[in-house]
Amino acid sequence: MVLSVENLKVVYRGVILALDGVSLEVREGEAVALLGPNGAGKSSLVRAVAGLLPKFEGRVLDGHVRLFGQEATHLDPVRITGLGLTAVLEGRPLFRYLTPVENLVAAGHRLPPRELREGMEEVFARFPRLYERRHEQAGYLSGGEQQMLLLGMALLTRPKVLVVDEPSLGLAPKLVEEVMRTLEALRREKNLSLLLVEQNARAALAIVDRVYVMERGRVVFEGDAKTAQEDQDVMEFYLGKEEVGFRQAKRYRRRKRWV
Amino acid sequence: MSDLLPYLIGGLANGALYGLLALGFVLVYRATSVVNFAIGEFLLLGAYLTYTFALFLPLPLAMLAALPVAFLFGLLVERGFVRPLLGRNVVAVIMATIGLAAALDGGVQLAWGPDLKYLSGELPQLGFQLGEVFVPSRALWNLLLALPLGLFLLWLLRRSRYGILVRAISEKEVAALALGIPTARILAGVWGVSALLATLAGALLAVASGVGPNLVFLGLKVFPVAILGGLDSVGGALLAGFILGILEALSQRHLEPVLPGFTEALPFVVVLLVLLVRPYGLLGERQIERV
Repeated sequence: MVLSVENLKVVYRGVILALDGVSLEVREGEAVALLGPNGAGKSSLVRAVAGLLPKFEGRVLDGHVRLFGQEATHLDPVRITGLGLTAVLEGRPLFRYLTPVENLVAAGHRLPPRELREGMEEVFARFPRLYERRHEQAGYLSGGEQQMLLLGMALLTRPKVLVVDEPSLGLAPKLVEEVMRTLEALRREKNLSLLLVEQNARAALAIVDRVYVMERGRVVFEGDAKTAQEDQDVMEFYLGKEEVGFRQAKRYRRRKRWV
Repeated sequence: MSDLLPYLIGGLANGALYGLLALGFVLVYRATSVVNFAIGEFLLLGAYLTYTFALFLPLPLAMLAALPVAFLFGLLVERGFVRPLLGRNVVAVIMATIGLAAALDGGVQLAWGPDLKYLSGELPQLGFQLGEVFVPSRALWNLLLALPLGLFLLWLLRRSRYGILVRAISEKEVAALALGIPTARILAGVWGVSALLATLAGALLAVASGVGPNLVFLGLKVFPVAILGGLDSVGGALLAGFILGILEALSQRHLEPVLPGFTEALPFVVVLLVLLVRPYGLLGERQIERV
């Protein structure tokens, strides 16, 4: 098991319960999607596995995070990335006042100079647009370019597990597709395990093996991507199937909930 | 002209000190967004450290020996006063540095006494005659130490991997943490370097005018210098140091006969005027907004 989360409970400021007993697993080489609406607790899960909760006034109340079988619940982020898990947080967390080159240097801070140079060349070869704008401030890159830069940065941390939070946010549909394709390609090439956190279920389902659906701090559905796509409820509630009219779906939803 | 030159040289010499001290201040502000009101006390402590080492070492060695001690002191301050308060209200950190300043003021007087002391030993004489003007050794030492060191730090921050990490952390600490950057260690290092710069400035000041509790007032000059350069601009701090040094010297010569005491206020007046035109200071960064 590359990453396993067991019965994780997370609170913010001691009172706001964001995760209420979440368990999930990512196996070696597997791509897993974590879907769910706003406020379901997806990003809290990302922060928890990355060891970043203290920075958000959050705390693990109960449960475990294990990385490669090793207890990692209360490890600090430096140790966690050292073990091979890199999380790309939501909201394009790159350094906007630095150039793409400097962003990549910061990301590859652990690499010896030669390896860093080669790694950067590889990133630029993959994303030629970044190379063209490599000396501009990253804050002025387009949303798609920023997302590519983030993926490049994540690569330079040499991860074994990549956790990506909402890479599609604010991108045009065509770009979303491109980001997903890139993720898929990277995963295959680098033999990564991937935990993809998304609201855009359709885009995510196209590239993953298994799915978890979260709602209000709990996992309410778990299964492989195919089953999810065939499951009526999941499709209607989370994956935005359009066959059910808006009014109908809403009434239905009120009646039937998992939680 | 030839009677102006000594003033300019003196101004540059003072400006080098201002620049050095402001550099340390801005570095910390930029990296950790902490306004260090104890920077004047860092300088004071540095001066006394140098004085103490100079009791049993030749002066150049004493100055060198004070630097690692100052660095350690910076690390300690970060650990003890700043890190526990990170993420709290900004005012909390400010109050902590003000409290630290008061404690250091008192502590230094307790340890070394309130009277003015003079360093034993001297830096090697570098002064020379340039035409009709004598260039004093003190000015040369200030410039020789401050300028290369300042430029080196600037280069370090702009080009080196360590500098890139400092800038990355200062912009978005969470993002840096997510990449596994050891932010705590790097920020502590920045405080160390800041204390080191203040100590060097203190030592140079002590060489020129002795060591006493009143050295702390140079710390006040840091604010106009740093603000003039742009609070987040390290290069700006260095530049503004020289500018204010020279302006002070000119005011000393031309304005003082007309407006006695004006030189004291001059840095603040200049800052006000500049901020009217450039609110972010001379070299401060504008915010990036993508809409």
